[in-house]
Amino acid sequence: MPVPDIVSQTGNTMVLSMGPQHPSTHGVLQLVLEIDSENVVKVDPEIGYLHTGIEKSAEGLFWTQAQTVIERMDYLAPSSNALCYALAVEKLLELTDRIPPRAQVVRVLQGELTRIASHCVWLGTHGIDLGAISVFFYCFDLRENILDLQEAAGGARMHPNYIRVGGLNGDLPDGYIADLDALIEKFPGRLRELRALLQANPIFQDRTIDIGVLTPEEALQWNVTGPSLRASGIAYDVRKAFPYTGYDGYDFDIPTRTEGDAYARFLVRLDEMEESMRIVAQARKRLDTPGPVMIDDPKVALPPKETIALSMEALIHHFKLISEGFRVPPGDVYHAVESPRGELGYYIVSNGENRPYRIRTRPPSLYNLQALKGIAPGNLIADLVVMIGSLDPVFGEVDR
Amino acid sequence: MPSTQTPPIAGAAIDPPSLRPPIDDALIERLVPSELAVRLAALKAEGYTMLLDLGAVDYLGRTPRFDVVYHLLQLAPKPASVAEVGKPKRVRILCGVDEGQALPTATGLWKSADWAEREVYDLFGLVFDGHPDLRRIQMPVDWEGHPLRKDYPMRGPARERAPRPAFANKTNVVAGTPPSGRTLEALQEQVKRARAGIAADAEGEST
Repeated sequence: MPVPDIVSQTGNTMVLSMGPQHPSTHGVLQLVLEIDSENVVKVDPEIGYLHTGIEKSAEGLFWTQAQTVIERMDYLAPSSNALCYALAVEKLLELTDRIPPRAQVVRVLQGELTRIASHCVWLGTHGIDLGAISVFFYCFDLRENILDLQEAAGGARMHPNYIRVGGLNGDLPDGYIADLDALIEKFPGRLRELRALLQANPIFQDRTIDIGVLTPEEALQWNVTGPSLRASGIAYDVRKAFPYTGYDGYDFDIPTRTEGDAYARFLVRLDEMEESMRIVAQARKRLDTPGPVMIDDPKVALPPKETIALSMEALIHHFKLISEGFRVPPGDVYHAVESPRGELGYYIVSNGENRPYRIRTRPPSLYNLQALKGIAPGNLIADLVVMIGSLDPVFGEVDR
Repeated sequence: MPSTQTPPIAGAAIDPPSLRPPIDDALIERLVPSELAVRLAALKAEGYTMLLDLGAVDYLGRTPRFDVVYHLLQLAPKPASVAEVGKPKRVRILCGVDEGQALPTATGLWKSADWAEREVYDLFGLVFDGHPDLRRIQMPVDWEGHPLRKDYPMRGPARERAPRPAFANKTNVVAGTPPSGRTLEALQEQVKRARAGIAADAEGEST
């Protein structure tokens, strides 16, 4: 960026660059601040340091391959990305009603586990920003349990690529249910500990109450979604508003607050973790019914591995799908899911080929982070760190 | 002309949204740029309080070449209430625009349009009239070209301009002076001596 003038027009303020290598900007965020002593007069976030052209790369990959780069956008909640992408492509393929019920249950399970894991990272780093180091270790311990489950299901900790177009990569492995039960048992106590460490902590409250207040009107103007919007009193949640993959069959509430400050956002996310665990427990009960986890459509789904050595047709299907991919009828679709950060949407255009013509992401982090321009002026520089933390941006998604 | 690195574009399906099967995801409206400002303001007055997303698609070879895509969201009639939001609605506005044609900015209606329009400007080169601060956002300020256009090479313009050197011209030993200060000839000499030594040793063992 061009070097800004060090002294502003009025002579009372100066320009300070914060980041992009600042530890509390949660990634590569640069803030160009105009400050009057310790007070922020204007903030101009500079993004793009992590721009990797994911949308462009996806245009050169098959529909299945594109999912691997899509998952890397919001690297703290990969399953949300994968779920949204799979649902959007299934809509174009007109397969939405044919996804096996067990696959839908596991998708809900993955979506909620990834939300808890993502909130764990948010809480841990938010705590570290404010000097509460031990919270970080508790959170990452809990997250590690969830990543173990992700690894067991999909084979990788960070980017399992488990949810596929048409269903899942495979059924849950042996022993998964037992580990999940252990997590469900462990979670309430662990969340109580986290609450005990922070919720009534006077230092934490001093740093977050009345900081970064986002009024409902401002939130709508800045297009804020997710927990940050619900902390401002608007109960908009995509899971309830536009139910997908069977969310209307689960019993859960949408936590909201009306204060709109950083503390309210903190409370909403903690409540949300509890609600997510409620959904996980309900999904766990439904896992007892066995069934297929991939759609029975050889045009989209790979044939089972066992049949490949025995059946010529299976081998041909496998070869064609791997070497050519599948084709998606022309059309465009917008599909959104509730990711841990808000409404994650994909606007996908297909021109009937085996590669996506265009994938436009609606990144919740980008719009949430933009609200910083509205809420930061008038606050102290030290509080800026709290505001960034409470908006919970992920830069893989902001910059894509 | 599409880049050689861009996958071929099917001629028949140059405008996929017009061939679209009925998918119930949003109400769809197609507008021309001159109607856009009035229609967006009217929709906002109708209760579409959120500009959910603003993006663009490049249909190379079509006139108009680009589609700018707006997604608006209407919450319940009383959006500020904590009570459960009723059935929200989405609307999608497709606005065809050609190169060099400017669109009116939406920043006056929704502040969130700021970065979204900057991104469309940066990655597609489309201009929004009246935008307060229209400059690049994702790419560096001195970047040339607009990467999400279909005629922009997938692997970057540098690789398109300078193809890889022919394999035959390559050698295993880097030409020029190695970091040790010894010349290529000296290195080759050393290798030759070492080989001769091994051969001599082998001879010695066999005799």
